[in-house]
Amino acid sequence: MRNIIALIRRELGAYFISPMAYIILTALLAVSGFLFYFSMLRYSQQRLPASMTEVQQYLVFLMTLISPLITMRLIAEEKNRGTIETMMTAPVSEWQFVFAKFAASMLFVCYLLLPTVFYAAFVAAYGTLDVKGMLTGYLGVFLTLGAVISIGLLISSMASNQITAGVVTLIVACTLMMISAFSPILRPGASQFLGMVKDVMNYVGILNHVEEFSKGVIDTRPLVYLLSVMFGGLFLTVRVVESRRWR
Amino acid sequence: MDPRTAPVLPQEKVRRMIDVRDLTKVYPGVLAVDRISFRVEKGEVIGFLGPNGAGKSTTMRILTCLFPPTTGTVSVGGFDVLRDSMKVRRMIGYLPENNPLYTEMRVEEYLLFRAQIKQAPRADRTRIVGSAMEKCGLAERRTTIIDQLSKGFRQRVGMADAILNEPEIIILDEPTIGLDPNQVRTVRELIRELGQRRTVILSTHILSEVERTCGRVLIINRGRLVADGTPSQIINKFTLTGRVRLELRGTGEGVKEIIERLPNVKRVAWMNKGELQDYLVEPANAADLRSELFKCAAQHSWDLVELGHERVSLEDAFVEVTAGPGSSSGVRRDTPRVEHPEPVKVPETGGKG
Repeated sequence: MRNIIALIRRELGAYFISPMAYIILTALLAVSGFLFYFSMLRYSQQRLPASMTEVQQYLVFLMTLISPLITMRLIAEEKNRGTIETMMTAPVSEWQFVFAKFAASMLFVCYLLLPTVFYAAFVAAYGTLDVKGMLTGYLGVFLTLGAVISIGLLISSMASNQITAGVVTLIVACTLMMISAFSPILRPGASQFLGMVKDVMNYVGILNHVEEFSKGVIDTRPLVYLLSVMFGGLFLTVRVVESRRWR
Repeated sequence: MDPRTAPVLPQEKVRRMIDVRDLTKVYPGVLAVDRISFRVEKGEVIGFLGPNGAGKSTTMRILTCLFPPTTGTVSVGGFDVLRDSMKVRRMIGYLPENNPLYTEMRVEEYLLFRAQIKQAPRADRTRIVGSAMEKCGLAERRTTIIDQLSKGFRQRVGMADAILNEPEIIILDEPTIGLDPNQVRTVRELIRELGQRRTVILSTHILSEVERTCGRVLIINRGRLVADGTPSQIINKFTLTGRVRLELRGTGEGVKEIIERLPNVKRVAWMNKGELQDYLVEPANAADLRSELFKCAAQHSWDLVELGHERVSLEDAFVEVTAGPGSSSGVRRDTPRVEHPEPVKVPETGGKG
């Protein structure tokens, strides 16, 4: 356990040593701030009750775009620099190594998301905030990013350098986001098969789920999906790191 | 070897620190290590030699539990590297070949992190890191970012990491690569000091270094162990030609012919060095010619300056055992032959003895 804490601390430190963390944070806050403003503007013009739903969807979108920057170096860099050799000959197991990386990047995600809680404070100050919806919405954001980060970690463990890892992760992340956006192309009722494809696309896409969550509903379907992607990704990453043993 | 006055450890009873039996490692399509067996006792300093790609790094990586052997058993401190990998790792300090470091960290910060990973007791961590930095001459650079250190200092950081928490066994893969002669000397001193209480295995291309620091040498060539013994044993075993060097003062007229007529003399090489004459006498059927030559010199009242066996170095022995069938023995090869290229990155090195 002490091992894992040390690993997480080193990993988090690595984020903040480079200016990357601050650039990401600034960019994220700037863009999400604008989106929050426009979202609130629209609600007030249309005389709708203010909610965090839209903002949290934007957050998932933005964070998923940023996620390759968070995950690409995690394992690819260790392989490139050879530090994986010093790590894997120290009394550290593969799962400790992988879990620490995942935990550190999730903590970093929390750090990035933390300032957006101010948006909720604004909503609460000038309207009525659905506290439960806000909390479950953040849970949704967090789970979705857990799945995305886990995929990014897996790709980073397979790539030999971080640029490849970053590009591939970006492609995969964008696909996962767009897949549900394209589903309206398929008209329902055209055929049963197409209807099924549409359902699958909506289920696999990662942008829709957070909407459910931010309405205060914790549906088991997205929960199962996101958790299984997350744990599946971690499991496979551990296997990839272990694979040096039988190669 | 006598029992050392090391602190008492649970493994104290285990004198045999490393036991390798029929170790074989096959990478896809490449036989990297081929049925190697050797044992290392507590407190030995072992030099691991061989041309590039001979399987040194592979063997060291198996010892350090980076990956398991394909077949064969390897136990370290009585623990099997497969079954008790974590226990083995706790006993070993390892400096990998290209000394990988987290270059964005500061020296002390990095070593504290490593101490934590290696499960050094919390209360002792600062002391352990402090003493490792002290030993490796890093005390003044503790707050420097590793990225900004010179190569020599980075190597010291790697060394400090390897000796952190006083491991029973220290494995160093080419610790002196790319260092200047002064730094090499410092590292050599450190290894000698470590060898007084710990078991040390180091690989290197610098043979003079091995002659000076290692009590025992293992030479590995194309995945096979070809020599195992003290440097002098190896020198004797592989280069004992019994050649005698004779040095005389004078013009040396007719001396060569007289020596050639002696019994058991196969060949004589004469080198005229002006005032002094050098003769290299090669015996037939491994005879010791020294006394014979002395009597001969006395008989002809030659002005004898020096008489003795030709001095050979570990380098000669190394070339002798690792030279392929094509190359003639005793000829120094300037490029190490790579018959079984390792699939891992091996930095080009100019370090040869």
